[in-house]
Amino acid sequence: MVKQVLELLFGADPELRQIIGVTLRMSVLSTLISTLLGIPWGVAMGANQFRGKAILSRITNTLMGLPPVVAGLIVFLILSRSGPLGKMGLLYSVSAMVIAQVVLISPIIAGMTANIVSLRAPSINETCAGIGISGSKRLWLTIKECRIPFVTTALAGFGRSIAEVGAVQMVGGNIQFKTRVMTTAIMMQTNMGRFELAIALGVILLIISFIINSLVHRIQEQTQRDSGL
Amino acid sequence: MIAVYDLVQQYAGRVVLDIPELHFEPGRRYGIIGENGSGKTTLIRLLGGTIKATSGRIEGFEGKKLGYLPQSPYAFSFSVLENVALALDGQSDAKQLAQKALESVGMENLLKARGDRLSGGEAQRMALARVLVRSYDILLLDEPTSSTDVRSMDLIETTLRDYVRNTGCALIFSTHSPAQALRLAEEVLYLEKGWLVEQGPAEELFNSPKDERTRAFLGHWRLNS
Repeated sequence: MVKQVLELLFGADPELRQIIGVTLRMSVLSTLISTLLGIPWGVAMGANQFRGKAILSRITNTLMGLPPVVAGLIVFLILSRSGPLGKMGLLYSVSAMVIAQVVLISPIIAGMTANIVSLRAPSINETCAGIGISGSKRLWLTIKECRIPFVTTALAGFGRSIAEVGAVQMVGGNIQFKTRVMTTAIMMQTNMGRFELAIALGVILLIISFIINSLVHRIQEQTQRDSGL
Repeated sequence: MIAVYDLVQQYAGRVVLDIPELHFEPGRRYGIIGENGSGKTTLIRLLGGTIKATSGRIEGFEGKKLGYLPQSPYAFSFSVLENVALALDGQSDAKQLAQKALESVGMENLLKARGDRLSGGEAQRMALARVLVRSYDILLLDEPTSSTDVRSMDLIETTLRDYVRNTGCALIFSTHSPAQALRLAEEVLYLEKGWLVEQGPAEELFNSPKDERTRAFLGHWRLNS
């Protein structure tokens, strides 16, 4: 079995390459969209005091813990033929999987961003107010000071995205050469007793996860060095 | 003139500051002293407008330029020079003026150092230069030298005296050091548990305090200094 796994890992199996391609496309795209949505959402929550902040914060925290199958169910119902966006015919496509991932990851990125910003914003706001800097310039300075933790947040979102199985299975359908990703393929191959491909995919997932964690670790180390901690 | 009337600040129903009346004249230096929790920072923050009073009025700020240095100012992750020039955003001579302000607090050797890598005392001096680089009508400083060494403190106090003389601003600063208030302030305010116990010319208040509580506070300070 080891030989077969190695052949799959270092060979040119078209299905394996296709699965990796779909997985990376889905994860990168959903992370990008979630970052574009989650960071402004988190900055708005973390940098400002406004009416309704407490309830928005509670909703965000609830969505951060949204079970993937629930997210999958919501997106499935919206995209299914009788749903509000059924006419677009997105169900069982990579786009549907990206939408489900965005529903799951955006609140996580928003919540993490809000925490990062709220640690710095009070001091930045008070300092800026003291020297007459307000509005967009103050906000820009806050974002600039948080840029490195933001990258860590986006990478954490990517890690969450690539490991997701429940929601993408529901809205993607695990269709061969179309919507099959590494996690859904591992689950299916294991159920079928074909462990070689499952193990090969598991190894690749672990390698990707290791690379992401190394990047996060390196950024955190760099941040600590830069701030003299 | 700045005037404060019936200023009350409460946190969770507890009164932390209650000042019936207070006046500040332009061109004068005011030092606020008192123990921890006496309301020094609350008064400075209320005057600076960073918190809103539970009740009362603050008058005389309309159309005036206000500078404010918080107790824990933020040090941005760019150079010391850029940190100070930030206060003069867009001005063509921002860097020259920033350099001059940094020289006035003894930081001419750290212009290129990163703001967020400075020691506590250096960061405090940088933040002070960032405020002093501009001219204000009212300057509020919350414990501006709490982390500063003795030699730098002398320089800063001289710089602040010159700043008030040159700009004609009202300088209002809080300090945990009665000695600094005596050296730097023309008028001293003693706060205790949120109350303004006594106010008067520095020498007079230190040499012959009228209130028993001020006498006790200064007596305790003299014993320990």
